[in-house]
Order: sequence, then structure tokens, then C-alpha cells
Amino acid sequence: MFQQSHRPPSSPPLHHPIPQHPIPPMRSPPPVQQQQPLNNNPYIPRSGASEYGEGAGGAGEGRYGNLFNDTTAQVGLQVGRNAMLAGQEYVEQNFGKYFSMSMPTLKSYFNVSNNYVLRKLFLILFPWRHKPWARQMKRSEVSGTIEGYRDPRDDINAPDMYIPVMAFTTYILLSSILAGIHGVFHPEILGYIASMAFAIVIFEILGLKLGCYLLSISNESQLMDLVAYSGYKFIGVILTMIAGSFIPGLLIKYIVFLYTFSAIAFFLLRSLKYVVLPESTVNAATSMTTTQRQRQRRIQFLFMYSFLCQFVLMWLLVKS
Amino acid sequence: MFGLGRLFYVILLLINSIAVLSQDRFLTRIGWSSVTVDNGFGAADSASVKNKMISLISAVRTLMRIPLIGINTSVIIYELILG
Repeated sequence: MFQQSHRPPSSPPLHHPIPQHPIPPMRSPPPVQQQQPLNNNPYIPRSGASEYGEGAGGAGEGRYGNLFNDTTAQVGLQVGRNAMLAGQEYVEQNFGKYFSMSMPTLKSYFNVSNNYVLRKLFLILFPWRHKPWARQMKRSEVSGTIEGYRDPRDDINAPDMYIPVMAFTTYILLSSILAGIHGVFHPEILGYIASMAFAIVIFEILGLKLGCYLLSISNESQLMDLVAYSGYKFIGVILTMIAGSFIPGLLIKYIVFLYTFSAIAFFLLRSLKYVVLPESTVNAATSMTTTQRQRQRRIQFLFMYSFLCQFVLMWLLVKS
Repeated sequence: MFGLGRLFYVILLLINSIAVLSQDRFLTRIGWSSVTVDNGFGAADSASVKNKMISLISAVRTLMRIPLIGINTSVIIYELILG
């Protein structure tokens, strides 16, 4: 604005004032005005002055490269690193969202010790005398608020995924070995048994979920808890199969089956009580809405699941 | 025998059987219509098993109608060619 008004008197011989006014004052004068004080001004920092001088002069190629490394490249590196970190964070967030259980949650199911595994196996096979069935809460050390349940390492009542996964694998291998002993082994039998066991577990989970929906059980517990509890029955199945194949006589097989079945049914009945009957936990909202009739229905459902359903499924697993 | 494929068939047929129920001819006659659920002040009754079943049926009917067409067609073609 100021220059436009000054320009016409200073340069009268211009023939075309309209196109020349906006362009030349913006392009040519400012660099000239900047470069002159840069070279002469002693108050400008040394690095800036030397950068300009060497860049313009082209003398001292090595120092020019060094400068480039020191400032611009570092800024670029930092920007790149920040972008990488942001991208990683984004990927991790979405990864956890897609699988509905982040990796730490799944990790805590495998946080077991030798002592826990032995005690849990004993508990599954002999649950009659066990006393406290409630899971222990994990409290934060600072504020004392409840942060969820404890890991299996610290709490024997917590469901883990180690024993079910191992029992599942052992079941598949054991039935293949038994088929081999009877002389009917075929490589297909591995996939076939795995598929059948998977189907039975999925069927059980679906039935449990449907029952929870119909009885409007607010399912605070994870899906993996139910998977873990449904996988414990493979231990009884394995024991029955071993007993039935290595000890002659069908009677012993039936006795072992009935004993392991009743032990696991009792174990599930006591363990799943905190899922189905949330009155035991301190939850005012759900205990207000659950009436006596609903409670009765839920107990019936739990009984049906842990006795009838388990009986049928275990029998299917043992027979095949 | 019972495997993953068989389980898939079982689930598919069950969903088909739910989706095929007619709203006008069947569900309203036996009082399971999702339209006329009106309990007045009995708000606590909305959590009963029957109401849950009704909402489940209507949800399956609305949600699964179009996917079922595709899944059924592909299963039929598979069974015709390879079954």
C-alpha cells in the first residue's frame, strides 16, 4: 500500500502502471533490502550470516553439507520420528479395538505359575472341600480403587487360559493316539477331532450367551472367561479316555466318567455363580432390578448348564 | 458327524427358521408381535424372557433378511456342485 502510493512519483516514465504495480515491488525489492542488512549488520547471529554468505558464495562445500546435516536434517528426522510414533499408536489402538481384548487382557489369562496349575488341576478334580469361591479383586496401590480381578498367578479362583488350551491340545493328540492303538489312525482324524472339539466349545459358548441374553444377565465378565470355563471339562474327558483305554472293563470307565463329570459340574456351578448371580458382588443397580423370580430362573439356568449340558457335551467328547 | 461345518449349518438353519416366521399370520396370533408390546406401567416386565425372545426374533428378522439371501444361495450352489 505504502509503496504503491510512493512508486508513481519516483518512476514517472512507466507506461503501463496497472500491471507493473503489484508484481515488481513484491518480488525484487525485499531480497535486496534483506540481504544488505544481513551482510552488514553485526547484531545478526553468526550462524545465520555465515549460512547466507557461504550458501550464496558456494565456497567451502564441506561446511555447507555439515550445516545441512545439523539443522535441517535433524528437524526432518524429528518430524519423521514423531510421525512414526503417531502411526504406531494409531495402529495399536485399532488393533486392540478390533479384537475387543487388548493384548494385556489376554496376557493376564496366561499369567500362571506351576503352583497355580497344580492347585487348579486338583481343584477341578476335587472341588468338594474348597471354601472361598469368590474371585479376589485387584486394588490399585495408590488409591485403593478396584481395578478388576487378580491374575491367575495370585488367585486360584481366577479363570486362566493355559489349562484349557493345553487340555484341548492334549485331547486331540490323545484321541489320535487311541485311534492309532486301535489301528484306525488316518491323518484326517486330527483335523476331524479338532473341528469337532471346536464346534462343541463354540456351541456351548453360543448357548451360554443366548441364555445370558434371555435372562438379561448383565455380562460384565469377559467372553474369554466363559471360554476358559468351558475348556476345563477337557481334563475330565482326558482322564476318562485314559482310564477307559488302559484299564480293561467298561465299568471303570463309567465310574471315572461319572466322578469327573460331577466334579466339573460342581466346579462350574460354584465358579459361574459370580457371572450369573451378580448379587454377590457389590452392584446396587443390578441387585435392585433382579427380583426373586428372576433369581430362581437364573439358578435353574445355571444348574441346567452345568449339569445337563456338560453331561451331554462330555459324553459326546468321550465317545468320539 | 458333528464338526465346524455341521455347526455352521445348524446355526444357519436356525436363523432361517427364525427369519421365516411371518409377522402378520403367525406372530400376532400367538401374541408375540413386536409391535403391540405395551405393558403400561409394568416397566420391569420388559426384561422378561418372553419379551427378550420377541425382540430377538424381530431383530433377526430385520437384520438378517438380506444377508441370509446371499448365504443361502451360496450354500445351495455349494451343495449342488460339491455336496
